[in-house]
Amino acid sequence: MSDPAFLTPEEEFAQLQKLSNEYEPETTGPLVGDRQSSAAIAIEYANADPVYRVKTAALPAKYAFFRTCRGDGHCGWRAIAFGYFEALLHVGDVTKFEVEEARLISMNNLLNLAGHHEDLYIDFAEEAYDLLRKLAGSLQVGNGAGLLLEAFNDYSISMSIITYVKLLASSWIQSRANEYQHYISTDLKSYCSQNIEAANCEIDDVGVAALSTALLKPAGIGLEILYLDRSVGEEANVHEFSQPMNFNGLIPMIRLLYRPGHYDILYKAEDLPAPPQPAPIHVALAYNNQHNFEATTPDANLLSMIPGMYSHNRFQDMDQSFGQRWSPTSYDFDSIPAPQPQITPVQSYAPAPIAPVSASHQDYMSPVHASPMSHQSPASHHSLQMEQPPVQLPFHPAPPPPVSIDRAPIAIEREGPFRPSMYEFEPGYGAGEVMPFQTSQFRDSHYNTCHFRNPSFQPEEWSPHQYRTGNKGRHKSTSQ
Amino acid sequence: MSAGAKKRIMKEYGECMAETPPGMKINFDERNMTKWEVLMDGPDGSVYAGGHFKLEIVFPNEYPFKPPVVSFRTKIYHPNVSNDDKGSMCLGLLRPDEWKPPNKVVAVLRLIQSLMVEPNIDDAIEPSIANEYKENRKEFEKNAKDWVKRYAK
Repeated sequence: MSDPAFLTPEEEFAQLQKLSNEYEPETTGPLVGDRQSSAAIAIEYANADPVYRVKTAALPAKYAFFRTCRGDGHCGWRAIAFGYFEALLHVGDVTKFEVEEARLISMNNLLNLAGHHEDLYIDFAEEAYDLLRKLAGSLQVGNGAGLLLEAFNDYSISMSIITYVKLLASSWIQSRANEYQHYISTDLKSYCSQNIEAANCEIDDVGVAALSTALLKPAGIGLEILYLDRSVGEEANVHEFSQPMNFNGLIPMIRLLYRPGHYDILYKAEDLPAPPQPAPIHVALAYNNQHNFEATTPDANLLSMIPGMYSHNRFQDMDQSFGQRWSPTSYDFDSIPAPQPQITPVQSYAPAPIAPVSASHQDYMSPVHASPMSHQSPASHHSLQMEQPPVQLPFHPAPPPPVSIDRAPIAIEREGPFRPSMYEFEPGYGAGEVMPFQTSQFRDSHYNTCHFRNPSFQPEEWSPHQYRTGNKGRHKSTSQ
Repeated sequence: MSAGAKKRIMKEYGECMAETPPGMKINFDERNMTKWEVLMDGPDGSVYAGGHFKLEIVFPNEYPFKPPVVSFRTKIYHPNVSNDDKGSMCLGLLRPDEWKPPNKVVAVLRLIQSLMVEPNIDDAIEPSIANEYKENRKEFEKNAKDWVKRYAK
């Protein structure tokens, strides 16, 4: 009967068996994927049965990230091998890489003892040594993670390293017969040949134990495996195969997620190097300077808008802004005018080389129309300045120029430990306000909230009030 | 095919040239190194003695992580060789699940030679020939020799 609906049970069984024999697991996707949020696992199991749902829901809280391995029957071997190299990168010590290479080479004796021929396995081993050397070299540049991912997604390199670690595990088991024989019913040699060395076999518990003892433990790398199965409990069971060592506070740890027949790599948030922190102070300084520009007379503004152009006013602007920022009085929030050593006549600048100062501040010279933040004006010299035409500046009393005018504070300001701006202490600082951006570089960077990569991304909106009246309104409301 | 696979094939070819197992000749084409042609003499003392068999060894792109594919281009009456135009052979270390990357081609060639001396009945691809080998050895030998005369001279 040709209609499949009328197959006899035997025929149907035979057909199913045939389908089952021909079945090849899904082997799409990268050999080793990018690190991603482990919330994806919980989502994947959202429609699964409750045991899985509960266990996967608990996962992201502890293990923030995971990385997929292609389920081509090697994923366990691949995951551990990848984890080994990644853990070494995490430690980030060139010597450690060299020590590991020497150690692996010395293990060739073990492979020879188990009857492997050096001329055959050396091709596979070389790929592992090469990768160690490559990663050691990458520590300077810091592109190790990319290199590692690239290497493991190259079929030939990836498979060579997998073959090599399989041979390591197999040789290790055979060299410790009395230790491993208890777990194995057949003789060790044929067990290793069929269940470890064969090209197409996934890692089993004996393999994991052997590999972690042979490869990971001596390197001080920890290994734990989470078993996600139907066993009772609210969290996946964790089994620790190897205890990590502490390398100056860095603890290399491989965490695997096991789902029947498949391994993926898990990460806790603390396993990862901290992402570079954005420097919000940059924005504050830019803003601070901005406000001073607005406070000056319109013609001064015009001049200061021209890049590379500076006038007496501009000098005074800088002077005031630096003075406010760097002199001890700058944190004085009283509305009583503080002593103002920072107001200095223009003459005091004459001996200073002009070019460096202006070069280091070109960043700040840009359109002046962006909205300012709420700002208390603590010093009366703002209003004073607004009324004074630039030519009158030389007639100010002339105290000695404060140190803050020198170039040294400028250097500190650009590189190093910032002292907080006074405006940061105000309530509502940085909350919900569109930061005025000063340079095209800043505007296009992700520090700008208008940039899609900014954590508090907010599309740029044009608001007519912010252009002229916004400033005055704010000024009044906060200073009353 | 990756550089590693090519390197490996060249290495194995060098070894085979330096120490060719007796009773066989390997033709190697530099431009297509993934396909070897092997001329194998029927081993002395076997029913195939006196015959010359042409074999083809094809290395997959994933070599050495997947086994080479061996096929008889000369028809042979053998329980482990498919009796069709492919003449394919898939047993022992040639099986994808038993293949190990460190295996050598020389080992494959030796396996073929030993199978010609003594077929592996438990792993037969042609059950009828295997059955004949078991039940009626005389008839098998007669057929095998007959095929040698017809195809392998």
